[in-house]
Amino acid sequence: MALLLPLPFAPHLRGFMERLFGLETEYGITIDGAEKIDVVEESMELIRCYQQGEFVPLWDYQLENPRKDERGFEVKNLLNDLDEKVHLQQDRKRKIPFKELKSDLIIFNGARFYNDHTHPEFSTGECLSLFELVAQDKAGERIVDICAQRRTESLKVGTVKMYKNNTDFEGHSYGCHENYLMDRSVPFERIVDGLLPFFATRQIFAGAGKVGVEREDKAPLYQLSQRAEFFEVIASVDTMHKRPMVNTRDEPHADPEKYRRLHVIVGDANMSEYITALKVGTTVLVADLIEANALPQYKLKDSISAMKNVARDQTYQWLVEQEGGRLVSAVEIQDAYLEKARAEFAGRDKETDWVLGAWEDVLGKLAQNPMDLVGTCDWVTKKWLVDSFCEAENLSWENPDDVFWMQSQDLEYHNVDREAGLYYLLESQGQMVRVVGDDEIAAAMSEPPTGTRAYFRGRCLEKFGSHVASINWDRIVLKENNKDHAIDMKRLVDSECVRHYNQALDNSGTLAEFLDALQAIDASQS
Amino acid sequence: MQNWIEFERNTRPSDPIERGPGDDGDSGGPSRPKVERPDTRDLLKRMRRVDPNQARRYRQRTGE
Repeated sequence: MALLLPLPFAPHLRGFMERLFGLETEYGITIDGAEKIDVVEESMELIRCYQQGEFVPLWDYQLENPRKDERGFEVKNLLNDLDEKVHLQQDRKRKIPFKELKSDLIIFNGARFYNDHTHPEFSTGECLSLFELVAQDKAGERIVDICAQRRTESLKVGTVKMYKNNTDFEGHSYGCHENYLMDRSVPFERIVDGLLPFFATRQIFAGAGKVGVEREDKAPLYQLSQRAEFFEVIASVDTMHKRPMVNTRDEPHADPEKYRRLHVIVGDANMSEYITALKVGTTVLVADLIEANALPQYKLKDSISAMKNVARDQTYQWLVEQEGGRLVSAVEIQDAYLEKARAEFAGRDKETDWVLGAWEDVLGKLAQNPMDLVGTCDWVTKKWLVDSFCEAENLSWENPDDVFWMQSQDLEYHNVDREAGLYYLLESQGQMVRVVGDDEIAAAMSEPPTGTRAYFRGRCLEKFGSHVASINWDRIVLKENNKDHAIDMKRLVDSECVRHYNQALDNSGTLAEFLDALQAIDASQS
Repeated sequence: MQNWIEFERNTRPSDPIERGPGDDGDSGGPSRPKVERPDTRDLLKRMRRVDPNQARRYRQRTGE
């Protein structure tokens, strides 16, 4: 993978979509063979397996505030379900200091790898290219897998197993969040109006599939999505209880006067490289349509019910009710977004054209015969696996023991161990459509995405790591001769600005040269 | 200061790639991998080895 920035850097000539985005994935963790597991401490131990030597906490928590709402207020507390309230009370008795427990690491590829409240989380650095994002996301899987192997080696009993999924089948969900930088001037109401029909129906290709229903009636059936049944309100700042379809957390990690960060929490974690690219790519195009005020005109009567009903519809007609009562299919809604995006953005760059082509192809197959997407869509592939297994073993959806065995297969699809996981068995047989090579994934384990501030973050740490006093998405503090130099990276979402900063980093041999170069850039731009 | 681990760069032979945009500027949609669907016997053999109760034991806490 080419890493150093070619000059002049021009994303549109390289075929990138012109928007910053990234993925945050919380992994499920267990120890096979252990009688009991403390997921909080085990997540911490797993993260610690990434590094050798003493852990030095560098993450700067001062810049984080997940309680601030885009609608102009701040909530006092984020909501938790009853289970979690009990757990949190027990957590308060732990002797481990907060920063030690979180174990925040920043990796040379610009990613954050840490213990996010009982789940190891890998947050990719900011990307401009869909395919770089897929490589970074898969690099996260590889890193998690290696850490699991190392942790297993250090245990007396058991094997650490890591799952890139979103549920324990018993009502506990964890997220795969997407982030998209957006124009702050766009009215929030337009964002909500544009996203609801899209999010309610995006799962027909982006869902990861799930055996069973966990909440309410616990019906024994196959759902398109792991997460759909966990959403209860249209918009809010919460992410753990009464989850919203549109999350209003106001943490742009950029100039708040100019930007907002669309923090998407409705999606599933995808094993399919192709669907990761398509999920993010289509959402970028919808964000583009929102900013261009060129949305298709759909208003659903009840978006939350629609999302749940689509996930559970065994007929695969996926009909949802619009305001006024007319029924419309999820494929038709997605088609309408596709046509608007095509009219506005076709020919803009290569990745956009790839997304438009892939979107059309997938929707066509979903309308004709979804099972044609075995090897492409996660939910279809998993359904094919489960159905094949049920037929071979004569399993019944009416028998709870059989359903548990199906759920065990469901879980195993998401096992990130490439020698054991069912997704990876299919991939090794050439059965999964791929969009990145293993060499690109291996490179992305230590190399940052090109042309963004992730490059600045990762390379800065690699080059001047001994001087780094603290770090966050939008600030690095470097210490030299007992003096702190805070580098504000909020401006580095601008392609011209980040190009200059990255170039200064590459060209500087010493920290003093580097700081002088940054000062010169700032002076020339002021 | 933290010590950073060098990971092995690659662990497996390359798999067949179906790449979308790029080399030839082709903007088509996905195509099926150019391999015959293998016999499902290996797959089913692997699935039979999955512990039927692993999902029953798998308990997590709600994520953020």
